[in-house]
This record gives sequence, structure tokens and C-alpha cells, in this order.
Amino acid sequence: MTHSLETILEALQATFPALSLDTRAMLTDETVISVPGDVLTEVVGELIESFDFYHLTTITGLDTGEGLVLLYHFWNIHGLTLYVALPYTEARVPTLTELIPGVAMYEREIHEMLGVDFTGLETSAPFLLPDDWDDTLPLRKQAVESEDEV
Amino acid sequence: MKSDKMIIPIGPQHPLLKEPIAFTLTVEGERVMEAGMRMGYVHRGIERLAQERSYVQTIHLVERVCGICSHVHATTYCQGVEALLGLEIPPRAQYLRALLCELERIHSHLLWLGVLGKNLGLDTIFMYAWRDREIVLDIMEDLSGGRVSHAINVIGGVRSDVDEAHCDEILRQLDLLTEPLARLVGLVEHERTLKARTQNVGHLSLEQIRRYCVVGPVARASGLDVDLRRDMPKAPYTDLSFKVITHTAGDVWARTLVRMQEAVESVRLCREILAQLPDGPISVKAKRRVPPGEVVSRAEAPRGELIYYIRSDGSEKPARLKIRTPTLTTLITLPEQLREVNMADVPAVLSGVDLCIACADR
Repeated sequence: MTHSLETILEALQATFPALSLDTRAMLTDETVISVPGDVLTEVVGELIESFDFYHLTTITGLDTGEGLVLLYHFWNIHGLTLYVALPYTEARVPTLTELIPGVAMYEREIHEMLGVDFTGLETSAPFLLPDDWDDTLPLRKQAVESEDEV
Repeated sequence: MKSDKMIIPIGPQHPLLKEPIAFTLTVEGERVMEAGMRMGYVHRGIERLAQERSYVQTIHLVERVCGICSHVHATTYCQGVEALLGLEIPPRAQYLRALLCELERIHSHLLWLGVLGKNLGLDTIFMYAWRDREIVLDIMEDLSGGRVSHAINVIGGVRSDVDEAHCDEILRQLDLLTEPLARLVGLVEHERTLKARTQNVGHLSLEQIRRYCVVGPVARASGLDVDLRRDMPKAPYTDLSFKVITHTAGDVWARTLVRMQEAVESVRLCREILAQLPDGPISVKAKRRVPPGEVVSRAEAPRGELIYYIRSDGSEKPARLKIRTPTLTTLITLPEQLREVNMADVPAVLSGVDLCIACADR
């Protein structure tokens, strides 16, 4: 059964009253909810339990120049994106592998490309980068700048 | 006799694999006890490269993510950029894009059937599937000039049109495809050797499909009734009628049947698209600079849901381009699918998910 986005947003606000889930319209049918990293697991758990948002399409990680951002793109007839902002100094969120085992691939990729730590995720083996890769984080803005200097 | 565990590496270079990926199988006798996987051998850093290219150059870059479904990548990307620009593309361009998407689906599924046949030692299937695939490749070459890289998309539409004589020729070639496809569906349904090699192999339950967020024919073969062409429709799919093929068996055989029936459905869709092809221009002019914003663009590729996230900072280059290809969702299930299977069934399991490593690695 699918619920309207308004119902989902209202219910999330009601379940997590301490949070101010500010919404903003994104282009092409995607609704975005800002979620603090420390309640991410609870919010995702609620989305799956109550609204059947079991399908996490992917996670986009990006470096805005002011900090890191994780976008969790969910889909269940509607597209719903959770927006998690992280400061460079504390780039850490809990892993979602307990709730959604398929998420490991996306989390490992972001760990390698942007240096975000997913607490509880096994990341000792390289995922996409070569075995002898140095510590450079390819998708960080800093990595682009230091390469330009060379 | 003492039972010994043995570790058998498959890949990164292996005759079974068309692209490099490494599996480490721990076997006990003939049984696979555990499977490890290492990817990244064809990682080309496409997401980073896109940040250094203009929006127009990036079309050609994303076409190189996948050598089989290049058109759907460019289409999904262009859809996203057009949404950021607030552009509505002409209906004729939407139909021509969809026509090529459906042709690509037929080509992808036939190519896959050939690879499955080859890997199972059923070379006759490989020969027939790839012979019939040539018809689709010919149609696509006539349309765009390329067999697999079409470069037909531009931001704002498509770059080449078809006239009436060309439409008739495509319809004639589609007729040539009807009978061979029906025969291949019959072969999958009734051929005893193929069934013996693929039934009850590589099984995934609906519960597993949901937990791993699997998409596409693999998910539909386990009973997940999701197809973005129907469930998140964009023009022209809103005006077209088609069946979403599902099966409940969840094994390699069901995946084969779903793909072949989808190819039949796509031939029908191609005919419908050509019959309804609207008149008018094929593109509109687009600005080089894209206003700041973010967009999520989704489409149903031959292997399932494809997603592009594009972020613009108002310059001529994308600030961030994220691509998630459908193959990645099926790859993660492989260690689980390989556990407890017979060593001789490993080729069937690996082929069953439609491995596209270049897609997954980007």
C-alpha cells in the first residue's frame, strides 16, 4: 500500500517531534527531507516499517566545499531523498546494513571516494580503487585542487 | 576420507567472464561453501571525469559507462539536465528516444541469452540468439549510425530523424524478428537441457530481493512487480500500453523467461511507437549554462532501474554527477547465490544476473 507524501511527512514529524524536518522541493518528483545523522537509523526504520520504503536506490555522497552531504534516495512509487549534512571534522554516520543489507556497496564506495565513516561497516578491503592506492579521496574538492597544482 | 577445503579463484581474467571481476570460491568437494568478490578492475572514475567536462561533453562520457545500454544512460542524463534547464522536449524526440530504448532492451536481452548459452555449453543458443540480435543492431545502425554507441541524444532532443520510408523499413525488420523471438521463448519454456541447467539454480526469494534492493528482470523473475516505465512513467510511456512481465520461480530459468518475454513485449512497443510517432521538430535549443539546482533522474534500463543525480552550481560543468547502474544491485546478491551451489552451476549463477562490470565499476 502506498501513502501520500503528505501523510508520510506528517507521520515522521509526529514520531520525531524533537526534530525539525525541514522539507524543500527538489526537481523531478523528488521530495527531500533533511535528517540529522544521529537519528538516521530511526527515521529509515520508520520509513520501512510504516510506509514500506524498503527500496533504497542508492546513496549519493558529495563535497559541497563547506562540508559533506549524503543523499539517501528511496523509492516507493514516489521518490524520497533523505538529506544528511556532515561536517568535515565529523564525517561519520551509522551504517544501514542492519536494516537494508544491499546498502553495503554504496556505503563502501562513499567511504573510499569521500572518506565518510559508516560505523559498523566492514571497510578493510578496497572496493573500487586499486590495492596500492594512497590515501587520496578522489571525490573530495581538496583532491581536485591538489591535482591542479601539479 | 578427510574433507579438505580448497580455494578456487575465478577472475579477474577468466574465459567465463566477459569483463574483469574476481570471485574467490571456497569449495569443499563440489560444493561452494563461501564466495568472495572483488571489483574495481574497470573503474574509470567517470563521476569525477564528468566534473571536468561540459554538460554536452558529458553526454558522450556517460554513453561509455555501459557498452550495451549506452543509449539509456545518455537519455537518463539528458532528461535530468533538461529538467534542470526547465526544457520540455518535443514529443517526436520523446518517441524516438523511447524507440531506441526499446530496441536496446531487445539487443541487451538477446546478447545476454547468447552469453548464458555459451557459458552453459549450449552453443546453439548462443549462435541463434546472436544471429537474431544482428537484426536489432542493423535497425539501430540505420537509425543512429552506430551499432552500440548511438550518440543520438542532445540536450533538448535527438539529432537524427526518420522519414516514412525508413519507418516502413524498421517495421519490415521488426517482422523478421517476431518469429525468431517466439522460437526463443518456446525454447526457454520447453528445452530440457536448458531447464535442467537453470531451474532451481541461483534462487532468490522475494524477501531477499527486497532486502538487497534488487531491480530489473532479476527482481521481476522473483515476483517483484516493479517497472519504472509503468510505475514512474514519463512520456511517451504514459501513452503506450505494455505488459510488465513477472515470474515467481526466482531462479536462473525464470530470469531467462522474463527477459525473453520482455524482448517480445519490446518489439510490440517499437511497433506502437512507430504507429503513433507524432509530427514536429526533433529538438529544441538548450542553453550551455545550467541554472543552479539538483535533480534525480530515473529510468528503466534493460537491467532495471537506473538513476542519475546531477547537481549544478550554475557553471558550464556539472558540480556532481552520481550514477547508480542496475548491475550493482544484483552483484551484491552473488556471494549469497553462490553459497551451497554445485561448482558446475557457478557459470549459470554468474550468467543469470546479467553481469555488466563496466557499468558497476564506472
